[in-house]
Order: sequence, then C-alpha cells, then structure tokens
Amino acid sequence: MSLVGVEMNDAIRVSSLKKVFESVRHAGWLRTVKTEIVSVSEVNFSVPAGQSVAFIGPNGAGKSTTIKMLTGILRPTSGSASVLGLVPWEQRSKLAYDVGAVFGQRSQLWYHLPPNDTFELLSRIYNLDRKEYKARRDMLVERFGIGSFIDTPVRKLSLGQRMKAEVAASLLHKPKLLFLDEPTIGLDVNARQQLRDLIRQWNREEGLTVFLTSHDAGDIEHVAERVIVINEGTIVLDDSVKNVRTDFLGTKVLTVDFHEAPHSVPIRGVVELLRDGYKLKLEVDTSVVSIEAVITQVLSWGAVADLTIEDPPLEKVIAHIYSQHKEPAIQGQGSEVAVT
Amino acid sequence: MNNLKKYWAVASISAKSNLAYVGEVGSRLVFLAIILYIFMRLWKVTYEHSGVQQLGGLTLPEMLWYLVLTESIIMSGPRVTQLVDEDVRTGALAVQLVRPLSYPLYRLFSTMGERSVRFVITFGAAASIALVLVGPAPNWHWHSLLFAITLPLAFILDFLGYFLVGLGAFWIEDTSGPMLIYSRLTMILGGMLLPLPLFPEWLQGPLHMLPFASVVYGPARMFVHPNQAECVQLLLNQFIWIAVFAVVVTAVYNIALRRISANGG
Amino acid sequence: MLAKVWNYLGLALTYLRFNFKTHLEYRAAFISQILAMILNDCVWVLFWTQFFERFPVMHGWGATEVITMWAIAAAGIGIADTLCGNAAQLAALIARGDLDAWLLYPRRLLPHIVLGKMNASAFGDTLFGYAIYIAFVHPDLQHFLLFSALTVSVAFLFIGFNILVGSLGFFLGNAQSLAEHLRFALVTFSTYPAGLFDGPIRFLLYTLIPAAFVSYLPIEALKEMSLGVAALSLAGSIALTAVAALVFNYGLKHYESGNLLIMKG
Repeated sequence: MSLVGVEMNDAIRVSSLKKVFESVRHAGWLRTVKTEIVSVSEVNFSVPAGQSVAFIGPNGAGKSTTIKMLTGILRPTSGSASVLGLVPWEQRSKLAYDVGAVFGQRSQLWYHLPPNDTFELLSRIYNLDRKEYKARRDMLVERFGIGSFIDTPVRKLSLGQRMKAEVAASLLHKPKLLFLDEPTIGLDVNARQQLRDLIRQWNREEGLTVFLTSHDAGDIEHVAERVIVINEGTIVLDDSVKNVRTDFLGTKVLTVDFHEAPHSVPIRGVVELLRDGYKLKLEVDTSVVSIEAVITQVLSWGAVADLTIEDPPLEKVIAHIYSQHKEPAIQGQGSEVAVT
Repeated sequence: MNNLKKYWAVASISAKSNLAYVGEVGSRLVFLAIILYIFMRLWKVTYEHSGVQQLGGLTLPEMLWYLVLTESIIMSGPRVTQLVDEDVRTGALAVQLVRPLSYPLYRLFSTMGERSVRFVITFGAAASIALVLVGPAPNWHWHSLLFAITLPLAFILDFLGYFLVGLGAFWIEDTSGPMLIYSRLTMILGGMLLPLPLFPEWLQGPLHMLPFASVVYGPARMFVHPNQAECVQLLLNQFIWIAVFAVVVTAVYNIALRRISANGG
Repeated sequence: MLAKVWNYLGLALTYLRFNFKTHLEYRAAFISQILAMILNDCVWVLFWTQFFERFPVMHGWGATEVITMWAIAAAGIGIADTLCGNAAQLAALIARGDLDAWLLYPRRLLPHIVLGKMNASAFGDTLFGYAIYIAFVHPDLQHFLLFSALTVSVAFLFIGFNILVGSLGFFLGNAQSLAEHLRFALVTFSTYPAGLFDGPIRFLLYTLIPAAFVSYLPIEALKEMSLGVAALSLAGSIALTAVAALVFNYGLKHYESGNLLIMKG
C-alpha cells in the first residue's frame, strides 16, 4: 500500500502480520476443547536492503513463527508481508532462489561427505550455471578460509569449521537475504568471532541483508546494527543496537578472584553483586564510570588471580526492557537506514 | 544356592524391563495377523488341491497352530549375538569378569528372562488370531504340558548357538553376517514355514538330526501332536546338542578370555 | 515441461550419486545390509521352491510364476527404495518437523524430498530380483524387457503407496506406526499369489492394499506376453502415484496453515 519506490528498497516489509493457532485438546471422554493461541499478533516492521537485523525474544515469543511466515513455510492468519518484493507463502520457490538460511542446530551439509559434495549438490538444486558456480565456490572457499578441509568429511570437522562451511554453503546461490538461527551456538570464542566477522563483512561489503536470531548478546552486538525484540507475539523494542547498548546494555559485570581478602572501596556507579571469600562480583554502570577506571581501582584492592568482564545476560536485558517499557513498541531510528 | 538366587534376580529384572515393550504387542499383532491369514489361505488352497485331510501328518488347523508355535519361538529370540558382540567391543565383558557372576551364565539367565516374556506376548497374540481363523488347537490341554517341558531346553540350545556366534566378535570385524546366516538357517532348516516332513525324503534324516529341528520343529510339533515317545526323543536330542554346544562354547570362551588377558580387552 | 522433467532427472541422478557415496563411506555395513536382504529373500525363495517341489501346482500357478512374482516384487521394491528411499520416511519427517528445511529450497517439495535418501539394503533386493528371474526363469530378450519395464512400474506403485501412507502424517500428527504397518501389508501381500484370496480380500488387493498390481497382473502379463495386461498394471501404478501426489499436496496446504502444532519456540 506504500509507494513502489519505497517498497523496492525494503528487503522485508511486514504489515499487521498475525498468526493464530488452533489447538484441539481432548478433555475427558468425548469433549474436545478448542483453544486459540495467538502466536504472532499484528506485527509491523520493515527492513531496508543491506541492513543487519537481530530478531530476538524468549522461547515461545513468536520468533520462529514469524520467520516461518517470512520464508513462506507458514501462512499467516491475517496481514501481509513482502520479502524481496514477493509474497513468501505464495511464491516460496521463487523466493528461495534469493534467500539463504543457516541453522545452528541443523545442518544442511551431508554428514558423511566432504562439504564440497554438498556444494555440488546445492549447485544442482539451485540450477546454478556451472562456470559461475565454480568461480563463486572458489571465492567463498578463499574468503572463508575453508580450503584446507573442503574435501574432508563433515563428521571429521570441528564445529567451528563446520559452521564456516555451513555459512559458505548458504551463500553459494548469491542470496540477497540471509536468515541465521543461532549460528554461533556451541562454538569456542575464536570460532565465534571469526564467524561473526565473516557475516558482518558480507553484510557490509556485499550488501547482504542479514536477519539473525540468537540468544547470544555478543552475536547481536557484533553482527547486527538493529535489534527487534518480540515477546508474546508483539514487538516490544525496535531500535538500533547502538541505542540499545547505551540504554539497556549500559552495564558490565566484573568478576574478580583474589589471592587474598580484598580491601574494597566503594566506587560511584559500581554495585557489589556478590562477595564470596576471595571472589567479588561487581556490576558497573558504564555510563557513570568507565570499565578501565574500575579495573585500575580493583587491581589495587589486592593481588588478583583472575578477572572476567561480561555483558549482562540477554535475558536480563530483555527483562529489563519489559520492566521499563510496558507501553507499545518503541520505535527508535531503526526503521531508517542506520549505520553504526 | 546363593549363586542361583543371583542368577534368578538377573532373569527377573530382565523379564520386568521387557514388559515395558507393550507397544511392541500392537506391531506384533498386525504382523502376525497378516502372516497367519495369508498362510491359512495358502494351506487351505493347498489342502483342497491335494484333496487330503493331512499333510506332513498335520490337519489344516494343526498346520496353522504349528505356524503359531514356530513364529512365537522364532520371534521371541532376543538379540543375543548383538549383545555379546557389543559387550566384547565395548569392554563390558571384561568388566563382567570382575563380578562374581560367570558371564555366559549371566547372559543366559538374562536372555531367558527376556525370551520368556517375548514368547508369552507373541504366543498370546498369535494364538488369539489363530483362534479366530481356525478355532482352537485340538487336544490343547495335553499340549501345554508336553510342549512346556520341551521349551526351556529349546531356548537354552538356541541361546548357545547365538552366543557362540557372538563370541566371534573376538576375532572378526562384524558378527552381523554370521548371525544372519545362522538365524536364516534356523528358519529354513528348523521348519519355520514348512514342517520338516514336507521336505524331500532324502533330507528327512539329516534335518531331524540338526540342532535347529530341536529348537523350532520339535517343540512346535509337540504342541500340535503331543506324543510321549517323541517327547522323550526330542528331550534327548536337545540334551545332546546342548552338551555339544556347551563344550564348544566353553572351549572357545576360554580361548577368548586368554585373548583379553593378553591384549588387555 | 519436458525440460523440467529432464532437470529433475538430473537432480535425481545427483542425489543417487551422493547417497551412494555416503553408503560407500561405510562399505562394510553397506555390504552386510545388502547381504542381509539377499539372505532374507533366499529364505523365502527356498521355502517356495521346496513348497512347489511338494505341491507342483496351485491355482494354475507353478514355481515359475511364483519366482517371477518374487522377482518383480523384490526388484520393484528395490528400485523404489533406492531411488526414493525418503518416501518411506515421510511420516517420520512430518512428525519431526523436518519438512521445513526442505521447504526452504527452490524445488517442488514432493519430488525433491523423496529423492533425499537411499535405502542401502534396497540394492540387495534389486540385484536379487533380477538374479533369480534370470537364473530360474531363463527369459528370452522379449520377456526380459517386459520384465524390466514391469519392475519400474511396480517401483512407482510402491513409491506412490509410500507417499500416500506417509501423507497421513499431515492429518494424524504421528503416522509412523500406521505407515509402517500399511507398508508391511503391501509388501507382504505382494509376495503371495493374489489367486489365494477371494471375495473382499481380493477387492482389497486391487484398491487399498494394491498388491494385485504386483502379485498378479505383471505375472499374467509376462505369462501371456500381453502388453494389454502390462498396461493395466502400469495404469494402476500411475493412478496410485497421482492420488498420492494429490493427497500429499492437500496435506501440505494443511501443514502450511499450521494446524499441525509442531512449533519450536
């Protein structure tokens, strides 16, 4: 219903999207109880082409349902959506040529064969031109650094190697939009960072629109520029990562293990969360005091054995969001093209 | 006496855990219903065609009940070879050696427990189908007694055969091949589908002497045609074969044990 | 239209190639599975040959006809499960929600998903079918060609049936057991002469459990060298596959509106 010009710039446009499930339960011998579960309730947002969005929410919030509707697997009860100019549930096959998907918990790579074989199969499934496919594959292999194990059976690969091959596979057919679901789950710190960097690179340099769901705050911070939070079927937050970081992720948790009983001194902006023998857990409000300043002070409290800096868990952040904003969705500057 | 109590405990635990497989009952019912129905039609047509009342010494109802028995015996067989194979490869067998239970005896009693339950379930299902198709087996009171006597030894003999194949795990990569061959031999030469008397004349002698006949054909026939003299003969055959197998299994088992101590399991 | 068919054929070949390669990764297991299937088939063929030695004719059928029936059934099932092994997994895929991953590909779901997997032991069935046909029946070229064509027709019958019963998963949530039982019924009845049955069962064999299109029509076609009867057999396969595709697509619409509550968070 908007101007064609504006529509063309949007990779995803969702309007009043609603999904209601009917659940039939047997109550007693002959009675059946029909309950309606509103999974997604009148959701609106649009994603400009080339944006990197994190779509998060607790389990059962309606995330998967929304994504299923965007990929055309599920039909909505009402409302409309347009992905890359197509209606997903009506033109699913056509859309599939331009959309890629990576699932952290389910692999599309054949387990007993080398990734190269799966690539070959994918080239067939997507009807890729032989020469173009080879060139694209070689480029991806180089960029992702998977040349050393592309001919090794997937079952022999580490999780980090597998995920790199997995993401590369999802990009073989030059999709314009990539869905990622928990891509870094189970990965070690190094592998996680590498994967995030690769995805971010692709988003920045190739203009790939990224739609990410993850429970990992690091994923969101490093890959996405915009965050949409969904809970109980409605969007409760839609803002740039930058703003969310300052507004809600403005704290860091410092855990310090000392060799001896620390002589702590109260610092403004720092709250002591836990004191257990030689261990101290502090919450630092980084808008009040910088983490470096706090660390410098803490180091003077006694001999330090170990020190960890962590973001508050995402659940806490989301809980924080709900407790602070019980009104309908806050629209930040996320809808326009925001660059961090 | 204490040892016997231990083994009995093993058998009853195994039996109880298998009662949980009630879901299997449904599947078996369907499987047996189809097979028994088809075979009833097959034999009906055959009897009519041949214009006789008895084939291989069995009437039509007896023929179907014979099948009920052979199927119950065959289908109740637990995966002895696979279990032994697993135990050997995972080292669980070596671990068992530390316990005050002899491994073969442990396996035997556990198998008996499992098999008893499976047999009762399968027989129950098959018998109810046969009842519907051809009515009750003639003289069925008498059968229960003689047949029941021959069953335990049949099971033990069957166990020994599969256990021996399972011990092959000490020497070969994969025992599933030999196991399959052994089980198919049991089916064919034991008369699962075709009662032995219906085989060619020249095979009769050899077939009755093989252990398979004592496991499948013998007890099944004892159910449909109870005969004291034949019963005694069957028990004797079972005894002899058990003795033979027991000797072989013991010998092979001891050689295998030496392998464990030599290679550390 | 033709170009599309050609394209899917190419895709099928690629899947075949990679499925085969996957099985070759575990060569020993692959071969033992094939051997197991062949052994199983041997038990039945041995039964039938012994049976026919004792009872030469049954309802106008002799050993040749029965062997032919077995050969066509085995080869047909073998081809079906080799090419479209995933058709037999349909109910499981639906129950687990695995359909979603397949829906993300730019391909028509049904032809794509059934190609996804190859059943290893099916190879054994195919080899066996052709082997016993050639060895026991000694066909001339004409008969062999017709035989081959009929095995393909039978293959499509099984593929269609698998899809049809698998699609029940769309309406029942978990139709795995039911699908298995129905498949077992079709396979079993396919290996017994339809002439054994009369009345309602006969009718069943031409409709709900279309085994007559395996166990009767093709054999008559080969006996009389009749292309007419062969065409009838083929018609049955095509009809079943068409119905199956319709039911599947109808079920898929159901699935897409989410009335199957397989939500994952």
